[in-house]
Amino acid sequence: MRTGIRTILLAGAGAAAILSGPAAAQDQPLVIARNLEINSLDPHRAFCDTCQIYLSSTYQGLVKLAADDRSVEPLLATEWTSNEDQTQFTFKLDPDAVFSDGSPVEAKDVKWTFERLKNLQADPSFMMNGVASIETPDEKTVIVNMESPNSEFVGILAAPYVGIVNSDVASENGAMAGEDASSADQAETWFLANSAGSGPYVLDTYRPDDELRFRVNENYWGDAPPIGEIVIDHVADAVSQAQMLQSGGADIAMQVDPDTASTINSPDITIETVPSYNFIYVMFSPGAEGGDMLDLEVRQALAYAIDYQGAIDFTVGGEGELQASPIPNGFPGTEGLPMPEENLDKAREILASKGLEDGFTLDITVASLNVYGVDLTLLMQKIQQDLARVNVKINIQPVASAVWREQIANPGIPFSARFYAPDYYGSAQYVQFFGMLPDTYWERNASGQGKVDLVNKSEVDLFQQALAASGDEMNRLYHEIALEMIKDRIIVPVVSPNLILAYRSEIEGVRYSACCNLPLAEIGRK
Amino acid sequence: MTTYIVRRLIAMPLLLLGVITVAFLLTYFTAADPLTSIIGERQMNNPAVVEAARERWGLDRSLPERYLIYLGNLVTGDMGTSFRTRQPVAQDLMVRLPATLELVIAAMFLGTIFGVVLGVLAARFRDGPIDNIARLFALVGASAPVFWSGLLVLFIFSVQLGWLPGPGRIDTRAVAPPFVTGFYTVDALLAGDWAGFRSVLLHLVLPASVLGWTVTGIVSRMVRASMLDVLSQEYILAARAKGAGPLRVLIHHALRNAMLPTLTILGFSFAYLITGAILTETIFSWPGIGSYAVAAARGLDHPAIVGVTIVGGAAFLISNLLTDIAYALVDPRVKLSQQESS
Repeated sequence: MRTGIRTILLAGAGAAAILSGPAAAQDQPLVIARNLEINSLDPHRAFCDTCQIYLSSTYQGLVKLAADDRSVEPLLATEWTSNEDQTQFTFKLDPDAVFSDGSPVEAKDVKWTFERLKNLQADPSFMMNGVASIETPDEKTVIVNMESPNSEFVGILAAPYVGIVNSDVASENGAMAGEDASSADQAETWFLANSAGSGPYVLDTYRPDDELRFRVNENYWGDAPPIGEIVIDHVADAVSQAQMLQSGGADIAMQVDPDTASTINSPDITIETVPSYNFIYVMFSPGAEGGDMLDLEVRQALAYAIDYQGAIDFTVGGEGELQASPIPNGFPGTEGLPMPEENLDKAREILASKGLEDGFTLDITVASLNVYGVDLTLLMQKIQQDLARVNVKINIQPVASAVWREQIANPGIPFSARFYAPDYYGSAQYVQFFGMLPDTYWERNASGQGKVDLVNKSEVDLFQQALAASGDEMNRLYHEIALEMIKDRIIVPVVSPNLILAYRSEIEGVRYSACCNLPLAEIGRK
Repeated sequence: MTTYIVRRLIAMPLLLLGVITVAFLLTYFTAADPLTSIIGERQMNNPAVVEAARERWGLDRSLPERYLIYLGNLVTGDMGTSFRTRQPVAQDLMVRLPATLELVIAAMFLGTIFGVVLGVLAARFRDGPIDNIARLFALVGASAPVFWSGLLVLFIFSVQLGWLPGPGRIDTRAVAPPFVTGFYTVDALLAGDWAGFRSVLLHLVLPASVLGWTVTGIVSRMVRASMLDVLSQEYILAARAKGAGPLRVLIHHALRNAMLPTLTILGFSFAYLITGAILTETIFSWPGIGSYAVAAARGLDHPAIVGVTIVGGAAFLISNLLTDIAYALVDPRVKLSQQESS
């Protein structure tokens, strides 16, 4: 019996020792709670919001987007010039720049990076569209020749997807940059466990759906970042993110929605609401099966029938902004654009003039997604109510996002909702995706793969001029393009949801970046 | 019994082949092209990108060709590469299966202990307050949705009281123990990492309790019903007449026989929880096989879907076999080889 009692006491003491735990360390890793929706960590295949954070922390581009989210600053390149017609760009590399293994950043790395990005034929490869050749006259000079003018090229280079890779290290591990890279390259698995950039952090570990861990780059050639170790912890649910923040399990929660944020009432937590460049839009596809009646006038009428402010209130509790055109507020050319207007009288008048005063029915599908705090199905239900006021009935069928993407191309979806976030700071990306230019994503899908002619020749001309222009003239041209895109009434932005930055009050330096989402190297503890 | 087990083990690969074939065909006939989850929207209109992706992922090959290549690779342990995580599926499963098993074993342990105790007490004090409380507990456990109970316990015990940690397998600031078995509790002990072990243990409490609650509900009702049935048997009366104490009668004579149907339930519950712990894993950010399966299904990640199906099928086959063996061990009347031949 005595032995039994002693065993129990010892076991109890052992358990107590285990459960008491060590004292909290002062220099702990910073923890960020967010949904890790990573598709790859290969810098030339990765394409996602978390990828932007990862790539901009471990790799560096020739230039970077300044804190004002508008201008471009030197990074690996100390200076750059372009020729008169924006077809040749020359960059001088910083002589002090080194990769995380201590080797210098050289022109050959830049050339190799750009060529791999282009030849992999992966998601971000479009960033190198139009690059004809790259010259390296010396170790620190890079000359990029374009097939046609591209005034946005330097802006594109500030995107995290164009970070310069240590070509020697990557090549040793199966990375290829030649024209056969799309089939010959074998480096993606290696990049899931290693980084090869010159950024302030290096990849420590990555476990999909679990955590992404950074540690400071010991050979970093710039000012050392304040935090030595950062963990992005996979927490998919907004409520769980908020709970982790409140319990101290996380220092920053990145995807807390307005409803959840309103429940946080703690002096230890700072909640900031900032405008974002993300937006949710609805789109009309007159070429889709069942979309025959959606000519320009009908599209205009339906756009008038939408209660935009009501949609913002309904979906994000008022924490969002109206957006005029598919080019988001604050991007080149968007100043002074007319905001969308709800006007039921005009909507009814137009429909009556088309003999549609009794309305019609649209069968639509919408992706079952909650993006940037907006549930797309709920948004469509709100718009369903709005359109019912002009006797237009929409039958909504929610489907998986992958199914939606299949259907939008064939047989098409006459009316639906989707989202977009910028890949870099510049307006060309929006024209190339949303504009009614030949073969853009939405020209193809909205026209039913060419069944109806939606190409807007003015947009085509203006875009060519914009790519060859710079400064105020470029802004003016994008303004004209934005007005044309509004007139197309194919893409109708509904809400640009504000971004909620929720973090513990002892944390500083948390800000939203248009290119990089959350610049990790700026975050510190007070 | 040995013959029986050998025959069952021989049949397993054939059954698994059937499971693989069905899973492979089902993924092929899904409503969407998996390319939509491999390529972003912007590049879907770029023929060069689409062609490169089809070639890279073998989607340019015919179904029979893909099926045969898959089977050939499977023999060598290669289950393909996940479209979503871009890692070998076998590697993904090797990391996630122990995570789920650790959670499920803890949940089964808690659920069974509480379920049996509650069931026995409910039967012993039939229709009394204890029985009613046990019934209510079982009812709530079996019917409360995990997304509700999970968030509730997190809010109470992690946020409000601060007694237990929040989501995840280990403290978010701690480094996971070096991979040996994939069971963090075991790996932390093997590494001599006591702080890590403590963190892992504490992180298990809430998700295992929430998941185990459903098991408690089912087991307690099953044990109660079986116990009431057994307690009315004549041999119980005989045991009492021979002077056996109430506790001995209850545990030694009644419970042992009442456990037979419960074992069946436990076997199925275990296999079910391996693939059914999806919501718990989501709420508690537990990187297990359930959340992997959901993400795979959402993302049309065909190799991962087939991989999870193989694991799920194997789990059911093995748990069935173990249940049958346990039957024979608990009840000497059951002779597996004879049962099989009859």
